[in-house]
Amino acid sequence: MTEVSGTMQMGPGAGAGPVPPLVVEHVAKSYELDGGRVVPVIGDLSLTLREGEIVSIVGPSGCGKTTLLNTLCGLLAPDAGRIRWHGREVAGQPQNVGYMLQKDLLLPWRTALGNTMLGLEIRGVPAAQAEDRCRAMLDQLGLHGFADHYPSTLSGGMRQRVALARTLVNEPEVLLLDEPFAALDFQSKLLIENDTVDLVRKGRRSLLLITHDIEEAVSLADRVIVLTKRPTQIKAVYDIALGDERRDVISVRQAPGFSDYVRSIWTDLDVVLQ
Amino acid sequence: MTVELDAAPAAKASTERVAPTGRWPRLRGTLGVLLTQLVVLAAFLAFWGYATGQNKTAAFMFGSPSAIFKFLSQMAVDGSLWRDTSVTGLETLLGFFVGNCIGTLIGLSLWYSRFVSRVVEPFVIALGSIPIIALAPIIIIWFGTGLTSKVAMSTLSVVIVALVTSYKGATGVDPDQINLLRTLGASKFQIFRKLVVPASLTDIFAGLKLTVGFALIGAIVGEFMSSSEGLGHAIFKAGSLYIIPKVFAALVATIALALVLTFAVGKIEQLLMPWRRQLQR
Repeated sequence: MTEVSGTMQMGPGAGAGPVPPLVVEHVAKSYELDGGRVVPVIGDLSLTLREGEIVSIVGPSGCGKTTLLNTLCGLLAPDAGRIRWHGREVAGQPQNVGYMLQKDLLLPWRTALGNTMLGLEIRGVPAAQAEDRCRAMLDQLGLHGFADHYPSTLSGGMRQRVALARTLVNEPEVLLLDEPFAALDFQSKLLIENDTVDLVRKGRRSLLLITHDIEEAVSLADRVIVLTKRPTQIKAVYDIALGDERRDVISVRQAPGFSDYVRSIWTDLDVVLQ
Repeated sequence: MTVELDAAPAAKASTERVAPTGRWPRLRGTLGVLLTQLVVLAAFLAFWGYATGQNKTAAFMFGSPSAIFKFLSQMAVDGSLWRDTSVTGLETLLGFFVGNCIGTLIGLSLWYSRFVSRVVEPFVIALGSIPIIALAPIIIIWFGTGLTSKVAMSTLSVVIVALVTSYKGATGVDPDQINLLRTLGASKFQIFRKLVVPASLTDIFAGLKLTVGFALIGAIVGEFMSSSEGLGHAIFKAGSLYIIPKVFAALVATIALALVLTFAVGKIEQLLMPWRRQLQR
């Protein structure tokens, strides 16, 4: 088992390889409460997401995972440190980044197709072209025949699939997912996880998955980053080496070594049972 | 790879109505509700007719259903019923339309600036607390005794409610949904048009239904002050001549007008928000 120490070194001129899509260097973020008290949420965090890589972030509840994600996609500004997308710091929202939460955030007045078209519509893609791409994406995610349904008539799993289609149809190079499958039943969750990994790997996209589900983290990711309690730092990094069985998020759970990873991460999280 | 769909559409389950139970299960449906309403109305009219038939003073003071009906048909024959109703209806419609347009536009656009909305808030509350009746004499001075003053009264009774309900709708939008549109690259105007406006429709329509009555009250109060036609004029005139059944006859026409307008708003809501119809089906 490989365990890498907390902060990772990834300077500007590190190696001759391609520029990784996302580099986070010593980012810190705190909130100011009404009374003027400052609560540090992210202590000092550095990480790198390479092209085509799937990285999971797990941490104890309330460790600022969502703050981290919102900081990464430019919805919050970090207090310190640098976030570089493709080697450059950007002001505001980075380009080609897809973002998905536990809530599907579908607009109830738009059909599945209309919701999927949202991103292309905002970017001004011609309607006919956008519609073709969106219908194809919905078909690919097993929603053939449901394009004209309103979200209120779809099940939770199908709604999350529409949300995934809405994210993927923009062809983001990087996906930032914040517990996107947490609200689904186990079966739907495995199926949609499998499809997500499949589409991410086929498209050579990179995926940063924030989750509290250790098994999900290990079964999906190439690398799992374990965070400490607030103020958040990196506690441990695991490179997941599970061989060929990784192709499928269901069979990978039977792989030898799978439960070892899960157990070590569980120990790292230091959960105290009351 | 074949994908098995996780579950049947949720709506399938909800379309199956739970069978009504109880002693008269058939009475719980839409038809049952309507029948019960008719029975209650008939009983009320029968009691009214019986009580006023026993006593001449009571008949003078409270009118009787038959006398009201007599006046209604008389007003229908001489044409005053249609004229008065259409005059008041036009005033109400114009006030309803203008008041809701202005109120909704201001209410929604306040979403754009937290600063402006905080500045404006106490003024809105102050204006909203003014009883419109108190303004009627000035309105007559400003706008004369014709149609304009009634539309102004009606507009004023509507505008603050429309402003508050639409602002509430606009500020009630889920911030996660706003963030999602921002990560999709939406400009502030795109967020406004694609998210805030449609998301506020539910509250806007709640306001529309509420303001049908307010617009009507405004128009009728305006007619009370000074007018030569309209249902408010008819009520005022019949009242000062102690023809009480005629007051009630004009009131019946007023109620009918309110019901028709409310029904129309409901129909427009269904047309504009088809996703809600699918939800309720």
